[in-house]
Amino acid sequence: MERVIEESKSGRRPQMWVTASGKGGVGKTFVSSSLAISLTKLGHSVIVVDLDPTGANVHTALGQNPADVNLRHWFEGNKSLQEIVTPTPLPRLSFIQGLWDLWSPANISSEQLKRLIPELKSLRADYVIVDLGPGAVETHLELFRAADERIVITSPEPTSIEKTYRFLEAHICWTLKDTARPDVFNALLGTLRDHRNRKMKKPFSFRQYLKENDGFSVDHFESLGEKPIRLIVNSSRSQANIDLGHSIRSVCCKYYDLSLDYLGAIDFDNAVWQSIKNREPVLISQPFTPLAGQFVSICKHLIAPSELRAVG
Amino acid sequence: MNKERYNYYEILELPANAAQHEITTAYERARITYSGENPAIYTIFSEPEARELLGIIEEAYSVLGNKTLRNIYDQRLFAGQTGALELSYQSLLTASRSLFPEGKKENLAPVYEIDEQFEKEIKQRSDWDGSFLKKVREYKKITTERMSDITKINGYYLTAIEGMDPGNLPAPVFVRGYVVQMAKLLNLNEKVVADSYMKAFKALTTS
Repeated sequence: MERVIEESKSGRRPQMWVTASGKGGVGKTFVSSSLAISLTKLGHSVIVVDLDPTGANVHTALGQNPADVNLRHWFEGNKSLQEIVTPTPLPRLSFIQGLWDLWSPANISSEQLKRLIPELKSLRADYVIVDLGPGAVETHLELFRAADERIVITSPEPTSIEKTYRFLEAHICWTLKDTARPDVFNALLGTLRDHRNRKMKKPFSFRQYLKENDGFSVDHFESLGEKPIRLIVNSSRSQANIDLGHSIRSVCCKYYDLSLDYLGAIDFDNAVWQSIKNREPVLISQPFTPLAGQFVSICKHLIAPSELRAVG
Repeated sequence: MNKERYNYYEILELPANAAQHEITTAYERARITYSGENPAIYTIFSEPEARELLGIIEEAYSVLGNKTLRNIYDQRLFAGQTGALELSYQSLLTASRSLFPEGKKENLAPVYEIDEQFEKEIKQRSDWDGSFLKKVREYKKITTERMSDITKINGYYLTAIEGMDPGNLPAPVFVRGYVVQMAKLLNLNEKVVADSYMKAFKALTTS
């Protein structure tokens, strides 16, 4: 492993993409690693960071052996984040190995998180893709908020869609919590709960609520209007599954008054689990499938037009 | 749902300068979302809520999907007439009618010689069938083509109705509609004609 890691050519700080989901098993790690591979194909350097404490699998999805150095070294304070970046044989692609040699529950404290986020944003690459664990826990919400691109992944199953809404609600509430007075914030939670229990007549609108009630800082919420949360429907098997994304977007617009950008659906493909078994990413072993095309077009949509590069 | 808060563009989640085909696409998507058992609305909207939304969506599309109504709606919306009254579907429909008044009804029936005795027979007739309809039509000097032009019923069906030929006709409920239109055109009492005709027609299909 004496290869030199190919570094960011621009010298600017990397764009941090964070992928999250309301529930596990929807294919977050697969989507994160595939987005990373697609970005490298488009000529950008990428580091995938495995921040799923309970299911560190990025190396598996990339077809790599677990790296010698991993996040544990960073947590123990022995190495900087940049020092534990592990290159892969794929051009422009590196990763940070998640916690896999730890047998006690891994908890990232908020102090560690405060240290981690700036380091993530100063890694030397064009893009840093952070793969989170499932669910709306503090670490995930904090990283999600800090991201440049927030990507939520859902499968077409009702279970996953339901948890996607919960994650979005949790994200909004989390961004409001810091700045709001505790009593104001608890009132918001009470209203949300009443809506959940169908005690209210009108659908809930975050925008309306924040307008009518003082004591919130709405900067983040307003920024979601300009840079919406992105949505990907993974393992889609039909047109109805593809349409689900539009439906979720519409429900968010009508129910929460929250804009969401539907990036598209990713086909269900048996080649995916087969390739994981064979330890070679499907986008590498089968680079010209519709699946690969779907990832590339999502990446092109997310890359700023000025950053798009001619690919030889 | 607070209707005054939304305009039709917001309902279909479109910018006001959306192209006509985008309106149709948005409507199709909204219809898929809020009708049936879509997993995306599960735990968010109850069934009555979804139905209500669907109603509003249909109303929005009935205006925005129609170029004339959309034009009137746009004019009113951008002139700041945002009252529920000015923007309701009914008021738009009325405005469009005044914009395109239905032309003077041309005298559709050509002149025909009045035969007092036959007129009397028509008035008294209570058991109508295809051949008598044909007789009245010919008496009033209306060709099948002309009748088809005015009523927009396929001439093939008109002939089949006159020939009482169920094999060449759609379901009875449509046949009745056709007969009503033919009776109207021939200036007959459409209820009497249709009722007795359908009786004869059904007797034919069941035998």
